[in-house]
Amino acid sequence: MDPILILVCVILGGVLASLGVHLLPVGGAPAAMGTATGVATGTVMLMFGAAMCGLFTASSVATFSDNILLVSLSGSVGSWLMMGVTMLVANVIYVFGTGIVPVSGRVDVDPITKEPQKAYKTPQCDGHGVPNVSYISGMVGALLGGFGGAIMYFGLLNYAHFEETMAGIAAMGIFVANAIIAAYNIGGTIEGFQDPKFKRLPKALVSCGVISLLCGVLVVLVVNLGGLTG
Amino acid sequence: MTVGGGPVVEEEKAEGFTIPPDVKQLGIIAGVISAVILIFPGLPAVIKAVGLILALVWGMDSVRKTSKYGLGTGVPSIGVLAMGYGIVGALVGIALVSKVVSKVGDSVLAPAAALGGVLLMGVVGLVSGVLSNHEKIIGMKIPKLEQGMTELGMAGTLAMLLQFSIVAGSLEFGVVLDKAISNGLIAVMFILSCMAMFHPYNACLGPDERRPRTMIVSVEVSGLLCVILGIVVAAVATTTWGVSGVVDGVLLVIFGAVVWLVCFVKFVRMCFEEAYSTVGTGMIKTIE
Repeated sequence: MDPILILVCVILGGVLASLGVHLLPVGGAPAAMGTATGVATGTVMLMFGAAMCGLFTASSVATFSDNILLVSLSGSVGSWLMMGVTMLVANVIYVFGTGIVPVSGRVDVDPITKEPQKAYKTPQCDGHGVPNVSYISGMVGALLGGFGGAIMYFGLLNYAHFEETMAGIAAMGIFVANAIIAAYNIGGTIEGFQDPKFKRLPKALVSCGVISLLCGVLVVLVVNLGGLTG
Repeated sequence: MTVGGGPVVEEEKAEGFTIPPDVKQLGIIAGVISAVILIFPGLPAVIKAVGLILALVWGMDSVRKTSKYGLGTGVPSIGVLAMGYGIVGALVGIALVSKVVSKVGDSVLAPAAALGGVLLMGVVGLVSGVLSNHEKIIGMKIPKLEQGMTELGMAGTLAMLLQFSIVAGSLEFGVVLDKAISNGLIAVMFILSCMAMFHPYNACLGPDERRPRTMIVSVEVSGLLCVILGIVVAAVATTTWGVSGVVDGVLLVIFGAVVWLVCFVKFVRMCFEEAYSTVGTGMIKTIE
């Protein structure tokens, strides 16, 4: 049992969760009507789904590997796949079902591909679908969020000596709490790093750092009081 | 989507079916009764289920109180937050109990140590509430968010500990780990308690939302949770009677089913009775 390592893993996980949330294209209810950019669901559901997929892959890899980097990166890949498929299928539905062009509502020109955006945006709408820049941003967000969730799982499993299910569910609990606090910071919807709301990021990082620290202290408490040893 | 912006009309005089305790009283009553029931893990599962329902209704009331001002992320987020904290708090609670048991032996009052986890989670909830509501940090500007998040952390932890107590019949770390956590049951508990907390207000919100009607949905979902927990208690029972016994589990299933049926019928009747008039919300705002 190493309290410092547990704290580092939990805080890193919480802060990365918060960063990941800020990068996802979350559209919320307006996106369900095709009048806002992003996937048509809440931050919590997207990050929860991504983190769960990441934890599945990470826990599978953790059964045969003790390498922290390998386990964490496998978590990233799980989240990555989940978010990639979600955004792709959402786009298929938007383009072929609703008949709208994926376009960003916050920037006039795509900062990565330099494609014009404003001309394709329906007036009085806030963008549609998942444009290229949001897709890339979402992939980076899922990568970071999955890495955070998996590193937390690894810390709880190997440094705190939690039993597998307990480590998984505790990591999920702390991760989700941090993701929700980050979601409050962006007010529910965000397009990705090009969104002006992204500038609020430091506030969420500080809040999530403090909350993860408290949760990490509680985990250390559980380890000490519960007498968990390797 | 939550009801956003604008002043929110405070508790109106409810017509028809009412629940006596108001928002403040319910928190105290539910918290105290659940805590007292939690201290005695030897009680029959049905009584612990009453405590569980009270804790979940308390959580639902806090969700309703905070999310009627519009969170921006939807009502479910705060219910999931409560149970996320609840899991961590419950782990601290059972660890505290096992420490006390190892120090002073298996005394009757040892499970009271689990309340330490509830209080610690209250502190974490308070800190997160202050961080989210403070103008210089996240600045959500929701009145009494600090109090709401504190209550949510405590209610989530109480609900989780009571479910551990129902399934494992004890609050000791090893027993709970063996009977409720390592077999994956904790995931079912997590998501169904989340449902009991966030689903009622998420489903009922709107201009004519009424507290008693929302509350009855929470009790109904808790009834379903009791049915599932009862099946588990009966299935993994080691004795035929007493804590973690077959009869205990069957009684819990019957209790849950009755609670679900009564509340569901009542809820549907209430909806029929109150649906005759709709409250106007005005024209939809247009973007400039």
